[in-house]
Amino acid sequence: MAEKKKLRIQDLAKIREKTKALTTIRESEGRAKITVHMGTCGIAAGAREVMEALLAEVRKNKVQDVIVATSGCAGLCNREPMATVEFKGQPPVKYVDLTPQKIRKIFAEHVLCGRLVPEYALAVGSETVY
Amino acid sequence: MKQYRAHLLVCAGTGCVSCGAFKIKEALEQEIHKRKLQDEILVIATGCNGFCERGPILMVHPDGVFYQQLKLEDIPFLVEEHLIKGRPVKKLMYIPPAEKDPIPRMKDIEFFKHQRLIVLRNRGRIDPEKVEEYIAFDGYEALAKALSEMKPEEIVKEITESGLRGRGGAGFPTGRKWAAARAAKGAPKYIICNGDEGDPGAFMDRSVLEADPHSVLEGMIIGAKAVGAEKGFVYIRHEYPLALKRMAIAIDQARDYGLLGEDILGTGFNFDLEIVAGAGAFVSGEETALIASIEGRIGMPRQRPPFPAQKGLWGKPTVINNVETWATVPNIILRGAKWFSALGTKTSKGTKIFSLVGKINNTGLVEVPMGITLRDIVYGIGGGIPNGQDFKAVQIGGPSGGCLPPKLLDLPVDYESLTEAGAMMGSGGMIVMDDKTCMVDIAKYFLNFLRDESCGKCVSCREGTQRMWEIVKKITEGKGTEEDLALLEEVARTCKDASLCALGQTAANPVLTTLRYFRHEYESHVLDKRCPAGVCKALIRYVVLAEKCTGCQSCKNACPKQCIKGTLKDVHLIDQTNCIKCGACQEACRFEAIEAQREEAITIV
Amino acid sequence: MITFRMNGLEVSAEEGWTILEAAKFYGLEIPTLCYYEGLTPYGGCRLCVVEIGEGARAKLVSSCTYIVEPGLVVRTDTKRVIAARKMMIELMVSVAPGSKVLQDLASQFGVTKVRFEPRNEECILCGRCVRMCAEQMDGKAIGFQQRGYKKKISTPFDLKSAECRLCGGCIYVCPVCQLRCQGPKAETVLCNGCLAMDPTCLDHYDDLQCWMYDAGRCGTCVREKTGSRP
Repeated sequence: MAEKKKLRIQDLAKIREKTKALTTIRESEGRAKITVHMGTCGIAAGAREVMEALLAEVRKNKVQDVIVATSGCAGLCNREPMATVEFKGQPPVKYVDLTPQKIRKIFAEHVLCGRLVPEYALAVGSETVY
Repeated sequence: MKQYRAHLLVCAGTGCVSCGAFKIKEALEQEIHKRKLQDEILVIATGCNGFCERGPILMVHPDGVFYQQLKLEDIPFLVEEHLIKGRPVKKLMYIPPAEKDPIPRMKDIEFFKHQRLIVLRNRGRIDPEKVEEYIAFDGYEALAKALSEMKPEEIVKEITESGLRGRGGAGFPTGRKWAAARAAKGAPKYIICNGDEGDPGAFMDRSVLEADPHSVLEGMIIGAKAVGAEKGFVYIRHEYPLALKRMAIAIDQARDYGLLGEDILGTGFNFDLEIVAGAGAFVSGEETALIASIEGRIGMPRQRPPFPAQKGLWGKPTVINNVETWATVPNIILRGAKWFSALGTKTSKGTKIFSLVGKINNTGLVEVPMGITLRDIVYGIGGGIPNGQDFKAVQIGGPSGGCLPPKLLDLPVDYESLTEAGAMMGSGGMIVMDDKTCMVDIAKYFLNFLRDESCGKCVSCREGTQRMWEIVKKITEGKGTEEDLALLEEVARTCKDASLCALGQTAANPVLTTLRYFRHEYESHVLDKRCPAGVCKALIRYVVLAEKCTGCQSCKNACPKQCIKGTLKDVHLIDQTNCIKCGACQEACRFEAIEAQREEAITIV
Repeated sequence: MITFRMNGLEVSAEEGWTILEAAKFYGLEIPTLCYYEGLTPYGGCRLCVVEIGEGARAKLVSSCTYIVEPGLVVRTDTKRVIAARKMMIELMVSVAPGSKVLQDLASQFGVTKVRFEPRNEECILCGRCVRMCAEQMDGKAIGFQQRGYKKKISTPFDLKSAECRLCGGCIYVCPVCQLRCQGPKAETVLCNGCLAMDPTCLDHYDDLQCWMYDAGRCGTCVREKTGSRP
């Protein structure tokens, strides 16, 4: 944020819009949370590339109200890389056997439009931590 | 704005900085670069988090995980485990004393759970050197509202109705002060921020200035609009270099963005600020002395009336308020007087920041609603007294305040109840003491501070504090008499009555409250020649307990005067003629065989 | 004209007068030390304190600096005032027992014991000399240095002054410079000499020829009061 022009009142709201990502992360108040599981098994299976692809999508679409997190191994090591998508108030959805291409589809369909992608999903529901 | 998946907030208040926080930040950035995560993870330095006991502190968002007491060697492991593998590191988390399990999330930790953050809402949450982060969390919204939607009288009315009282110590109704300045004749009018926090043990103003300087600026600009001022000063004591630096950066950024200077936010309102650094005197925190200091004169208080609101800086109407008061103003304007006055008690509205220090488990800054009991602060948030000791007293209000005993633990904290008990809200410094603290020694400490810091104008204060100190010193040396106690009280009352300014008028409070609640300790020193807490050196003697001594020679080796005699496996003996009562022997002994006893106790060896 | 109450009387004063000036006008005696006519009031010695206000809000203020206000209630000799005055005198005498002015004040106000260790200094920091030099003699050669118990009056950096014209104004106004009388108890901290004296002029003229301030000036009352040592 290097522009140093004098602000007007309406500019304050504009800055708040632009910095929404910041407040979302620090207040932990996103519309949705996507957790990429990155235990040793996950990383070995390619979870880092999945994470990078996901972040690229978030930036490309300028989505500011979604939290991206990591967690340890989910337990189902032979189906890694895995990711869990949770919407506030809804049961979490676990996606398995992911690739960068698959996560891009999941982001476009599920996160942006709210439509589950059943062919990539393992299960719906289980412990909610969000 | 670049998107990251995690933000690492490194606490960089002065407390954590002195524990190496900037080095921790550097190590984090290096490790993140090493792991090629710099595009995913953001590292910033924030202001003080308040839990200063546990620094260096790191917050990981969005998880909300609280890491404490970090060392440089922990960083690579932390990055690997938490940020890559997603497994928060248990051994770096906070474990409450006397418990085993760590509490990962900040919002679940007792210290933070019961606090209500208004003034400190941005602590540990934003980079204080980036005005955009302040704006992100509704910063300058209140200013926009005040400048475009409210008339000056309406702003004054809102502050008056909120019930806000000055947080510097006196607790004068802020709205009334602003109304007086607004009505006063004379131009130009001035706005001053009092950041000369001098109370020993108080550091809330420093924290706010370091963590959230824009909140103070916003409050001051709103105040300027309300009163009709175009120029202001921020007076910060020079012992706060980080606060001075961050405030200077904040003012520069505000000017660049048109939030200070001419035509603020395009509303046509002009206001600008200057920083003035203090020069090392406690008395300069007194409002008229501070004004004299800004004028370039010696920092000595003058009589009021006339009050600064009528005749202040250079004889013009001036509103001078404390850092905390200014930082509260934007919240009231944004959320309304009703919201603010719903918190607190009937006469003391809102929240107050207390600096909880001394013999307490959770040292740090706490912001709580007025009316909370001392017990809740000391035991609930503070986590009680360490090392299994008992609570003995709590000093509230710094050198102008008083020491309150255990029987007053259920006192609700507000201006009136504290004054009635003989103490004072003051700046909010809260020093907790255990039964190893001597109350006479505490009175001596504060009197020594005051006799040094008195400006020296009034005989009652200058000579009064000096003579009171001499008497109390005499008592701690075992030479006190009953007449001394009576004289002490007489000098204390006169000092309180006849002095010009609040320093002198409250200088006697430490003496008067300790006499009121701990008279038995004074009598013990005077009549029994004994210091119950074992602190006053002249009244104790260190003695080896024959039944516990194993003859291990640890004490003999530790003694700097070589005055302990004894051979291996034989009971040792301390030669009292050369003993300087340093206590090194007691510290060295692993068998609790050395005791500090009253002078007259006979030792049997 | 400002009307207010002083010791129960309704009085008037010009705007801008201090309580001390109004009291003097009405013939009410209020003791002073750092106050000196012709110099701006300082308010440091706290001898001239009076009690203003009523009830729980009553407080002591120095009358030499407090400007009168309409509706003010002033009392010049309450219990608090008298206790404060006596303590101020006791404190000051213990600092500079060699001063005649202070010893006279002690006798006048019944200070008969000094319970502090005497320091035998030659300055009580009343500031008269500083103000005299700055305001009347236009010298500005001396001023206050340091603060608290270390406060003292000196030239800048204790260096020999280029501004000082050796006019002697500072010595002229100094209350400590006048040495105490050698009364009956000359060796002690408190002199109290004039308390033990008997004004012989009463026998001769049936009118007191002086007040305690100038006790012994005429040289006649040097006889010790019989049987009534304080």
